[in-house]
Amino acid sequence: MASVLFRGIQTRPFLLYPSALLSRKNGVLFCTTKCSQSQTATQENQQTQMKVSPRTHTKKVEKILHDYEAIIGIETHVQLDTLTKAFCSCAYLYGSQPNTNVCPICMGLPGTLPVLNSKVIEFAVKVGLALNCNLSMNSKFDRKQYFYPDLPKGYQISQFDIPIATGGFIELDLPTEYGGGHRKFGITRVHMEEDAGKLLHSGNGSYSQVDLNRAGVPLLEIVSEPDIRSGLEAAEYAAEIQRLVRYLGVSNGNMQEGSLRCDVNVSVRPIGQLEYGTKVEIKNMNSFSAMNRAIDFEISRQVDLYSKGEDNQIIQETRLWEEGAQRTVTMRKKEGLADYRYFPEPDLPEVVLSEEYVDNIRASLLELPEVKRRRYERMGLSMQDVLFLTNDMNVADFFDATIERGAEVKMAANWIMSDIAAYLNNEKLSINEIKLTPQELAELISSIKGGTISGKIGKEILFELISNGGTVKALIEEKDLVQIVDPAEIEKMVDKVLIENPKQLQQYRGGKTKLQGFFAGQVMKLSKGKANPGLLNKILLEKLNAKG
Amino acid sequence: MSTRVSFVMGVSSLLQRRCLWSSQWRVRNYSVRSAPLPPDLPLLAETARISLTPKEVEEFTPKIQQVINWFGQLQAVDLQSIEPALRADTEGDNLRNDVPETFENREAMLSAVPSFEEPYIKVPKVLNKE
Repeated sequence: MASVLFRGIQTRPFLLYPSALLSRKNGVLFCTTKCSQSQTATQENQQTQMKVSPRTHTKKVEKILHDYEAIIGIETHVQLDTLTKAFCSCAYLYGSQPNTNVCPICMGLPGTLPVLNSKVIEFAVKVGLALNCNLSMNSKFDRKQYFYPDLPKGYQISQFDIPIATGGFIELDLPTEYGGGHRKFGITRVHMEEDAGKLLHSGNGSYSQVDLNRAGVPLLEIVSEPDIRSGLEAAEYAAEIQRLVRYLGVSNGNMQEGSLRCDVNVSVRPIGQLEYGTKVEIKNMNSFSAMNRAIDFEISRQVDLYSKGEDNQIIQETRLWEEGAQRTVTMRKKEGLADYRYFPEPDLPEVVLSEEYVDNIRASLLELPEVKRRRYERMGLSMQDVLFLTNDMNVADFFDATIERGAEVKMAANWIMSDIAAYLNNEKLSINEIKLTPQELAELISSIKGGTISGKIGKEILFELISNGGTVKALIEEKDLVQIVDPAEIEKMVDKVLIENPKQLQQYRGGKTKLQGFFAGQVMKLSKGKANPGLLNKILLEKLNAKG
Repeated sequence: MSTRVSFVMGVSSLLQRRCLWSSQWRVRNYSVRSAPLPPDLPLLAETARISLTPKEVEEFTPKIQQVINWFGQLQAVDLQSIEPALRADTEGDNLRNDVPETFENREAMLSAVPSFEEPYIKVPKVLNKE
């Protein structure tokens, strides 16, 4: 019976939340960044989710879960939106023909030397500040050495023991449909590194294929403290990181494109136990909801083993999330831990930050999601509204601009969350692409508030304004939409309608009071929708009951 | 008394584990002064993906030991009160502006690839990292 709506528009599944299972009465979240995923894939995902949830936790497991707590940490890799790669001047354009955005440096050819892109430092500092970290005014790069076909140099330039930022935190609010709640998660570190190329395995063959377009693209690795306790918290953490990097303009944060990747570490322990349980890494989650489901599955798997006294079967390993089967499975077992033989990158100088440089960047930061949420809360908006409006920075800016021009807060929120959001969803547009301006929305709201036009007329004008632009004043004039509030005029119309419908009038007086709606509709039609509904019904009722 | 001790031990081991949780990076400790370990040549060769015959292992081990010992002379320096330098250079930064440039001779690079199957570089199937 419950209609299942996405908490996000159909074509932008990177906003897929576990909340797809619950209905939302009004509004859908939307985002300005374009996504290329098709409608059907999204619907498929939705169906998978609907099938899965009842199966994930049996009653037995549910009961046991209460005796255990999960300890979860997340490592996120964010691809930075710089024009060039980290250590060479190659452009990076997602979707380019393979091996076209390459040069001797990112291909790791002999004799080449890396030169750091200054934008990478700027973005790293932005993220470090936004995550409330301590910045290392002096940091360095290291070589992380291993052999793999997508790693041309045989090492990845990264930061090992002196990352650019450490010891921060991130705050978020859980969605209201899941009980809400505020969370604060620690951030262990943020560091700069380069991405590897792409490795494709040909289905049957004895060979694989490498595309080096992505090799050398700058990444920020963000490591959280193990403060996360559930799949839901993990999904929201990842969503907040995405929100943050989009607000900062450092990345488009698209999981589908691979610009945001999360690896999760999960362990469980009986509540009260001090020692951590064995940690298991999970890879291959391609959406926030997949993260949620994968983690919840893994927690159940581990708790189940604990409850049977078989917790020694939980080994430190990497498991893959299988989206089709909705379970985690062992990757091929590795022998021993990898030895990356880190040593300082001799070809790159120290990264030195000056106080002035950092202060400048700090001053240039726009209002971040957490601050915005608290500000909207203080304005009196409900948490549901707050979360909706702040999810996309462009929507928040539109809302701010509208209320700056005098529009009433709740009304502005409602218009944006319902009618405007619905339009954007249908037309697959972002709020920046519609012709409606915040100025005109404010004008519309005050016209309705002041009684010039009715709410219903307002909705019609809105549609016109969104698709064709123009001003409220001009439309009202042009289409003669001013509300009729003169009682005498309305009386005249009511009289006319009553005279023209004697049969229904008789029926009404005979007891069929529901016909009031019919008469009201006729008067509305006669007035071309301009009669003030309140006045109309008051006068209509008087007249209908008068001669009775 | 013992419960207090075990509590403190528990807490400190908890803190230790929290530090080790996130990654394998450790705080640099330069106060350790011990003789360098003898090289495990088979392991070294494996990590460097170089194949050695048993004879070569025997031959190279003392030579590599000598190189390590030569560097090992640095152990004699007392570093207790010295702040570790991040790097040895004094030149300052060397940064590049974020301006794209296309490399002109892509064809030459790709034609030098031993096994190229347009548009991909063909490599043996490798499933495991390290």
